[in-house]
Amino acid sequence: MNTDFKHTGQVVDFALPPVCGGSGRLSQHLMSRQGAVVVFWSGVCSHCVRYDAYLNDFENRNPGIALLVVAAREHESRAQLLTALSQRTLQFPLLHDADRAVAHQWFVRQTPTAFLIDANRRVIYRGAIDNFKYSQDPDCEPYLDAAIEALLGGGSPTRPETATFGCPIESIYYTLPKPLSP
Amino acid sequence: MPNSILSSLVKTTGPLIESGLTMADRMLGDMRSLVRDCGNLGSAGPSSPAAPGQPADLDAATSEFANRVLRLARFTQFNPSRIAIACQDLSGAAMKSRPPLGLRDWLTLPAELPLSFATLAIQEGLRAATSAQATPPERWVDFLEFVVEVFSDLHIYFSLQYNEELERWRQCVEERPEDAAARLELGRTYMKCGLFEEAARELEIAAKTPDLRRRALYERTVALYRCADYRTAIRDGTACLALRPKCERTRYWLWLSAQRVGGYPEEVPPELRMKAKDGCHPTALQLDDVATEIGLDKVSGGRGTTVLDIDGNGYLDVVIAGAHAGCSLFHNNGDGTFEDISLGSGLDQCVYGFGVSAGDYDNDGRPDLYVSSLGFYNGEGRLFHNNGNGTFTDVTKEAGVDFWGPGFTATWVDYDLDGRLDLFVANNAGGLFDRKTRNRLFHNNGDGTFTEVGIEAGLHTPWPTIGAAWGDISNDGYPDLIVSGMGRAQLFRNNGDGTFTDVSREAGIDAPAIGSAVFWCDIDNDGWLDIIQFTYSRPADAIYTLRHGHGPANGSPPRIYRNNRDGTFSLVSDKFGIIGCWGTMSACAGDVTNSGHLDLLLGNGDPSIDRNEASILLENDGSGKFRNVSFAAGLPYTGKGHGVNMADLAGDGRLHLIVASGGLYPGDLQTSAVYRPRSPLGNYLNVRLTGVESNRDAIGARIKLRAGSRDQHRFVSGGSNFGCLPYEQHFGLGEMTKVELMEIHWPNGHQQILEDLPVNTTLGLEEGKPGWRAIYARK
Repeated sequence: MNTDFKHTGQVVDFALPPVCGGSGRLSQHLMSRQGAVVVFWSGVCSHCVRYDAYLNDFENRNPGIALLVVAAREHESRAQLLTALSQRTLQFPLLHDADRAVAHQWFVRQTPTAFLIDANRRVIYRGAIDNFKYSQDPDCEPYLDAAIEALLGGGSPTRPETATFGCPIESIYYTLPKPLSP
Repeated sequence: MPNSILSSLVKTTGPLIESGLTMADRMLGDMRSLVRDCGNLGSAGPSSPAAPGQPADLDAATSEFANRVLRLARFTQFNPSRIAIACQDLSGAAMKSRPPLGLRDWLTLPAELPLSFATLAIQEGLRAATSAQATPPERWVDFLEFVVEVFSDLHIYFSLQYNEELERWRQCVEERPEDAAARLELGRTYMKCGLFEEAARELEIAAKTPDLRRRALYERTVALYRCADYRTAIRDGTACLALRPKCERTRYWLWLSAQRVGGYPEEVPPELRMKAKDGCHPTALQLDDVATEIGLDKVSGGRGTTVLDIDGNGYLDVVIAGAHAGCSLFHNNGDGTFEDISLGSGLDQCVYGFGVSAGDYDNDGRPDLYVSSLGFYNGEGRLFHNNGNGTFTDVTKEAGVDFWGPGFTATWVDYDLDGRLDLFVANNAGGLFDRKTRNRLFHNNGDGTFTEVGIEAGLHTPWPTIGAAWGDISNDGYPDLIVSGMGRAQLFRNNGDGTFTDVSREAGIDAPAIGSAVFWCDIDNDGWLDIIQFTYSRPADAIYTLRHGHGPANGSPPRIYRNNRDGTFSLVSDKFGIIGCWGTMSACAGDVTNSGHLDLLLGNGDPSIDRNEASILLENDGSGKFRNVSFAAGLPYTGKGHGVNMADLAGDGRLHLIVASGGLYPGDLQTSAVYRPRSPLGNYLNVRLTGVESNRDAIGARIKLRAGSRDQHRFVSGGSNFGCLPYEQHFGLGEMTKVELMEIHWPNGHQQILEDLPVNTTLGLEEGKPGWRAIYARK
């Protein structure tokens, strides 16, 4: 039986260890909310850095939507995550998918990859947060924000899926026979 | 010494130096064999296998060491306080480059090590000798700087170690905040990572140092443009250009920024402004970017694109590969719009794809895919078997096509005409000091497996190879191969017995080049395939072309080699009006205007983060001249087109121009574009061939179409440069309302003739079967 959202349209609940306390269970975050955004992320991904302010301010802008950021890059330790949180003063709830089990289940290959799910864990949007343009850029397409707006307005997003970009969460190239320092 | 004398000297002595180096390489090879034989006389056992992270053998180790030293030289700031650290780094590099050595290896090491370094030096010397001939002396330093930066960066960014790189520069700046050079590098590294606001902040501080002001202002102009702060970009660009008005790159970025705010503001002095002259030739063609509308707007470091019908429903689907990203599979909904079905397709797992080529290697009616990997690094290309349900299975290992290398172009061919598709993979260089990875020719065994036969077939290429394509020099039906890269292009004539002969010199196509894409097409419609080779042009030459409508005198425009029908080719770019210089990475030909003449689409740029170059459309005016109509037709001024393709995605006779854009650096992400003619400009006929005795995709077939007493010729290609065109052959017919005759030469030698074919439709033809079937008529 297929349990993945590609076939069912619904993601299964998960529980992951939080890096800095709080709940690590998706369903708990969804309680009394209209939905949740789950962002697969890495502390060393340069694309993710672009969204630090966006994610820090997310819950203020979207009180009805929970935010869970899932660190899912291969070989990234809890200690490294804590360092990233403190150096960049990140304030969002961070969970650690150390063996990338949830990332695999959700077909995630790159960071950042965002999912918007409704209260019933139905996938409303999957893909990039935006098209990697700055908000002041006239060509900026805020895919995720548009999907959230549609969800909160009771509709469906015009773009339920976009191709993701970013850094791969795992790759043979991390164990490349050419470690590069020095 | 004046450059003109130096240039003549290099041109005269270059070939001699090349011959000398080749001979020396052979001699050293013999000496090494001798040393090894002596080593084998002893009783020592074989070498131990390489541990993860260790070079496989001595040659890999010496290359690895040289690459590490290059990186050290580039990234280490040499000052007295750092000598100890530099020595430590150097010994670390030596340790990490150490190969696995058995007792026998230790015995021969004193003799083998210098020989290994010597052969490496010869390979590099050979590349340097041809590059020096292909590049005017006044540009050597420029070119060397570019090559060193790109090759030392590639490893870091492909292996995602940029965070360490950023940290290194941050630390330098923290330790010595007054070190403006380090701050400049930090700013540049931020840019490569896509952190443009952070870059602009650092570069603003660096610009306060008089010695570095101009460079920092230039970089900051680029950073500000990238974060859409066009007004400040104009201010900094103006200040920078005022310091050195001859800097064309600054002028260009200032101009680009001005375009985004509706033109130059008053404060930009007239002498710092520029106008685009190239790309403005009047045309009836009007293009709209419909990528978002039809769902093909993938943001990525775009790479190869391939158009194919994955499920046999008649509609053309699209695959786009991306640096760092998985391949995206877009399924045609039947109306020219697409659904992204990558998720769980198997292709989404295929990251770092470069070239993508479709070929039905098992003749089951479903096109399979080969995706080459990391053409400027080392990766593993992958073969995907099409399951027919929108999913693909990775069969690389079972099929025997797995190898580790900097795979660039992958192209399918039935070179021995046995009815089964074979696979050729062109390999570039993974590092500046990497030895050439052999190009591979995989012979299809007919049971789902392949055997590598490149050496036996005689396909020896000493140069890093980027482009490759199969065509037919003499219309004898046997596919011949052209390869292009950093060196001399090589043309291999198929001997018809599974072997090839290098006929480059007698064919006249072997002039030294910093070559990239190459393909065959019948550009003059005479029934004989011509060759188009593209070459690297530095940014200043592309800007010169943009401003003047032609390249500089010492530039390197694309090379059109016309087939003389006697095994030789003539360089005729000038006659065809192709006089511009662009950094073409990917290109294809198709009749966009439905005029009956092939037009050319060029995807341009280079890995540098500050190179953002327009795609170019060269329209064939029917008199044998190409006109650059890019901007007049509606193409944008910017881009970084890696995989360009043309296909009638909506089945209505309009060739869509697909441009997968984006670069190597994580920060160089762009959105793929699809340009569609606003309205059809003429009648057309699309033709799809299905082989029966020949390979099912009919790769290698030739088609002659006669309409209005005029002939057009097409050759079904199995892919070139970053991807492959659809096997559907598009013929523009202008005002012709009837096709009088179509003659098909199937790969196995059969000939088929059809008469009185309709227009404005897509036809399917099967080998040996009379008549045709309609796939769909114009919608």
